[in-house]
Amino acid sequence: MEKRWGKMWTLMGLLLLNWVSNASSLSVTVNDVECVYEYVLYEGDTVSGNYVVVDHDIFWSSDHPGIDFTVTSPGGNIVHNLKGTSGDKFEFKAPRNGMYKFCFHNPYSTPETVSFYIHVGHIPTEHDLAKDEHLDPINVKIAELREALESVTAEQKYLKARDARHRHTNESTRKRVIGYTVGEYILLALVSALQVIYIRRLFSKSVAYNRV
Amino acid sequence: MSKGMSFFSRDRAALLLPIILVLCLTSRSNILPVADAIWLTIPSSGTKCVSEEIQNNVVVLAEYYVIDENNPDHIPTISARVTSPFGNNLHHNENATNGQFAFTTGESGNYLACFWKDGSHQQEAELTLGLDWKIGIAAKDWESVAKKEKIEGVELVLRRLQGTVEAIHGNLNYLKDREAEMREVSERTNARVAWFSIMSLGVCITVSVVQLWYLKRYFLKKKLI
Repeated sequence: MEKRWGKMWTLMGLLLLNWVSNASSLSVTVNDVECVYEYVLYEGDTVSGNYVVVDHDIFWSSDHPGIDFTVTSPGGNIVHNLKGTSGDKFEFKAPRNGMYKFCFHNPYSTPETVSFYIHVGHIPTEHDLAKDEHLDPINVKIAELREALESVTAEQKYLKARDARHRHTNESTRKRVIGYTVGEYILLALVSALQVIYIRRLFSKSVAYNRV
Repeated sequence: MSKGMSFFSRDRAALLLPIILVLCLTSRSNILPVADAIWLTIPSSGTKCVSEEIQNNVVVLAEYYVIDENNPDHIPTISARVTSPFGNNLHHNENATNGQFAFTTGESGNYLACFWKDGSHQQEAELTLGLDWKIGIAAKDWESVAKKEKIEGVELVLRRLQGTVEAIHGNLNYLKDREAEMREVSERTNARVAWFSIMSLGVCITVSVVQLWYLKRYFLKKKLI
């Protein structure tokens, strides 16, 4: 009875500790370089996440080369590098524990809004199981289940960010269609009115007998 | 033998658990850096803003704290402001080294949290701010649920997983609704493009016909033709 109580409390305590590996999804406006730091508790943890450039406010879409994404380990080496994309998913195994730096670099002067999500997931390994005899193999299964659900949540956040970007493009298209078409009609009417006025002037009495 | 071992393990668990819980909960100290917070750098001048697009009726729980290992006695202070998509001020704090705010979203849209350095520290280098931002199911207080329903251990963990699954289901429905809205806008724009292009041709022909008719009338009036 006491053994079960002790086991349960240790289990709960350790699971509470395991549960702090999480992050939230935020958007940040990148003018030149924006860096976000995240702490990885254990070596070998899987760091996963995604980012999407949401506010693509460029006139011609072929101009902008995209955002560069770099992950730097606490030792200074670059762990992950993605160049010139408008959004992607990433996943890597942390080579050591410590503070990791996730940087977005905008090569152009127009500010871009990047929505990102970073998650650090820890699954107890055989080594952790061997170290503490009160750590049940069920912990490993529960941690795996939790990580699988986290990956579904991460995918949903990615889809939501991509949907937001698509919505911006749609809104921009709608505004452009209405704006440019009405502008086109007005311009057409104006140009033809100017044409008529010009022709009238050519035939006006003060000028006509000298020119036409 | 087993009884002796179990007593030993109970004492160890009784010792270990409070230490773990204390380490987990003391997020403001540098003993155990909180793994669920991201760090941002606040520039010397200007503000650093983070935002998130949140739907209606979602709980937002956030905490921020200045991290400065160089001089722990004189920690620089920052100011923070959180605004709703309609412009209402949800949280405002000046000259603080840490703070927290919690609210339930009243409207869906972009929620913005901005941080900037106070006037007295403008000349110093950039400072690091830790931000712990949780919304929806991540912001749920599981300790109170455990206490109220008297569940613990594996059952609590599984209850949390169930909550996550329900949140995933809710998110999926939300994404589906958003996609339906966007599809409507797309189809409307598609119809408009076709309609406006044909109308543009019509406007062109009308304008040229009016032109010709007017010029003909004008020349007839002037007795030139």
